[in-house]
Amino acid sequence: MLLYSLRRILIMFPILIMISVVVFALALAMPGDALSGQIDPQNANPEYIEEMREQLGLNDPVHVQYGRWMAGVVQWDFGRSTVHKMGVTDLIGERLPNTILLSVMSLIITYVLAFIMGRYAGRHPYTIGDYSIQGINYLMLAIPSFVAALFAIFIFSFQFGLFPSSGSVGSGVTPGTLDFWISKLHHTFLPALVLGALTTASYTQFLRNDIIESSQKDYVRTARAKGTPENEIYNKHILRNSIIPIVTLFGFDIASIIGGAVIVETVFSYRGIGELLISSIERRDSAVVIAITLMLSIATLVGNLLADLLYGVIDPRIRVE
Amino acid sequence: MKKSLLLSVLLTTSMVVAACGGNDGNDNNNNDVDPGNDTENVNNNDENAGNEDNNNNEDDMAEGDAPQGGTVTYGYTAPFAGVLDWSFYGGVDDSLALSLFNGDGLYVMNSETDFLPEPNLAHDWEWSDDNLTVTFHLEEGVMWHNGEEMTAADFEFSYETIAHPDYDGPRLSNVDRIVGFQEYRDGDADSLEGVEVVDDHTLEVTFNEAMANNLENLWTYPMPKAHLEHLEVTEMEDSEEIRQNPVGLGAFEVSNIVPGELIEYTAFADYWQGAPNLDGVEYRIIDGSQAGELAAQGEVDIIELTPGQASQLEGNDQVNLEEVEALSYSYIGFKLGTWDGEEVVMDNEKFHSKELRHAFAHSIDRQGIIDSFGEGYGTVINAPESVISWAYPDESTLNQYEYDPDRAMELLAEAGYEDVTGDGFVETPDGEEFQVNFFAMDVPADIAEPRASYILQNFQDVGINAELMDGQLYDFNLFYDLVEEDDPDIDLFMGAWGLAADPDPSGLWRKNDFWNFTRWSNDESEELILEGLSEEAFDIDYRAEVYQQWHQLVNEELPLIPLNSPVNIYAITHDVGGVQAGARDATFEPHKWYREQ
Repeated sequence: MLLYSLRRILIMFPILIMISVVVFALALAMPGDALSGQIDPQNANPEYIEEMREQLGLNDPVHVQYGRWMAGVVQWDFGRSTVHKMGVTDLIGERLPNTILLSVMSLIITYVLAFIMGRYAGRHPYTIGDYSIQGINYLMLAIPSFVAALFAIFIFSFQFGLFPSSGSVGSGVTPGTLDFWISKLHHTFLPALVLGALTTASYTQFLRNDIIESSQKDYVRTARAKGTPENEIYNKHILRNSIIPIVTLFGFDIASIIGGAVIVETVFSYRGIGELLISSIERRDSAVVIAITLMLSIATLVGNLLADLLYGVIDPRIRVE
Repeated sequence: MKKSLLLSVLLTTSMVVAACGGNDGNDNNNNDVDPGNDTENVNNNDENAGNEDNNNNEDDMAEGDAPQGGTVTYGYTAPFAGVLDWSFYGGVDDSLALSLFNGDGLYVMNSETDFLPEPNLAHDWEWSDDNLTVTFHLEEGVMWHNGEEMTAADFEFSYETIAHPDYDGPRLSNVDRIVGFQEYRDGDADSLEGVEVVDDHTLEVTFNEAMANNLENLWTYPMPKAHLEHLEVTEMEDSEEIRQNPVGLGAFEVSNIVPGELIEYTAFADYWQGAPNLDGVEYRIIDGSQAGELAAQGEVDIIELTPGQASQLEGNDQVNLEEVEALSYSYIGFKLGTWDGEEVVMDNEKFHSKELRHAFAHSIDRQGIIDSFGEGYGTVINAPESVISWAYPDESTLNQYEYDPDRAMELLAEAGYEDVTGDGFVETPDGEEFQVNFFAMDVPADIAEPRASYILQNFQDVGINAELMDGQLYDFNLFYDLVEEDDPDIDLFMGAWGLAADPDPSGLWRKNDFWNFTRWSNDESEELILEGLSEEAFDIDYRAEVYQQWHQLVNEELPLIPLNSPVNIYAITHDVGGVQAGARDATFEPHKWYREQ
């Protein structure tokens, strides 16, 4: 197990280096740079822009820029955002808590919804209830998240006024106080709901199908034959087994926890990593783009590893030796 | 010189707005502007007439006994970088935030003052006989939010920060005419020779050359010396003193900053023009696509809208719509040459025929573009200047280039462009195929494509074989990359410029201007532009006359076809008053804002 984990971790390094090369090259291949948006004879002049390009090293060959960047990265310096005029690590640090809050909340919503619906549908398969749950699920899966976000804003914010439609925190609250956290949760709930509800489908189906499958297994039949109450069979014997694949999916969710939800964050003006990534791409803030993409790659790799390890922890049958 | 690039006049998506790098705030002037009251002085505009009563009422109220208390939320659609100092900020996102707590400069120069400098922090100034030295007499008792009094030293501090060898921001052009700039910048002098603090309330600035727009070009914002002087220039941009606890001298002071999202301000009772009516102001970033609805809901009280959003709010009694001409214009340029590294060379013969260029102008239904894609908001123009500027020429002296396909065809024929092959499109006088590439950007996303098709159809209707370059629209960055390097495929390109208050065309129209994208050079134009900055042009009437001539020349030569001067539309919540919608933003004089209780 230990050897396996170590091997997996070691192999991540070459992968990461390759990813960084690709990401770096692609980011620089985007037409224009952060300065091309500043064509502005009042604000600047061609000489100033040229001077800045020189100063930022944008005129150097790609491999020189890569080398310089890599030298910074090993010292935990990911460069400086040209748009936000601050260090990339500080910038990401500023946004990350928001994104993590949003993602964790949406995951909780996903799990709760999927658990309730999947359990019901699995226990009562091929009934009207099951079909309605499936119908709702597929509808959710089919709705693009920006449409769902706009509908949610329209209904819950504008019509009922239950939740704020934008921002991650209200005004007039002091950071650290109870009010502050309540306000944060209040602001985060709606985007989290949209995000969570839309991804419920796959979890629900996983759970449902597994429950149906398990309920036909021999050990369940045996339990039934012994006269174990139906409730106990489902809650104890079946559910515990069926939950395994879902728990392992958590590993894969890590990337999305850190990566945030690009579209939902943008629509809700929720300042997180996803929103930062999109606006940085549009403004050619390549240092930020590269750092975030790399961060997501790491999160995905680590997530996969974690998923595999978790699987072994939960299900001794498939433990890797 | 005071122009900036707008990716398109009809910007819709929030991030793209930011991408254009700040079409305002760019200058030494205040970004204050005003409602339609004075538009008739500047240039008549029918669309604005309807607002006048409304605005006047609000102003009267604000002067008198306006209701006290309450807060007002100013909305914007792209996150702010949070560099809260005039000397270091980059774009509109931060300039709005700055205007709300630190909007006062030496003088006011906006649409309310006809874009001429009027007293503000300097209640008076005079020029020396040789027109080289200006002496400012500053207001007394102007307090910074940290309790210090503003003095002439704060201005000196600001100039010396910008001119400092370590300064790497973009404001150099606002101080580089001061005597001793080069020595100081190179590190050969300890101070800026041309800036002299005579006493606490008197400041003298001496320029190298007597130019007509020296005052307009000069940096007008003081920096709070006591607050910042312990910092090195290189540290300032990242410092807590600027990013977390900025000190200004406006009617509101910063009380809380949520990065990229929200800034809260509270009233500053010691404001030199009197305590504000409101208890506080909020600057909130929202999603651009929801701007209209959020305004209708009262979630934001002041926000700029796109024409499409505004048209949906017409008749909504929760919101007042204020229109004001924007300080920008859009155009279709001809690529007439290339950049040789030093200056423009008119070496592209394709459009050298003036009749041909006139034919193009007559073939475009410019009012149709405004009606179809701008909901009717905007004014057709015939000079590359905003209609709101005092330098906008007398239309009656300009060729009107009205939409007239028959006239366009006549002109094509006169220029020798006739359809000899019978394919429905004209050939060049040499009988070769005449194919025109039209180069356009993909913003605003909702109208870019149909608008381009519309223009192409206009060209094709008169027999010009025009096509979208490579059959596609281009991303903003790529668009300007290719325009800058004079990509040989570009024939016509559609762009826009944001302007500043001073109408000097240098920067975009001179022979040695890299951003002279049409690559048009003309000796008479050079002379007129220089004349407009000469000592004689200290007389504003003379200067206006020079620009009038220059515009007539450009109008006749037509290196680019001006399309329209757009209108900014602000939604203002019905119970909020005293707000003056301006050509740049609506942050002018926030101490007069009030909310009916």
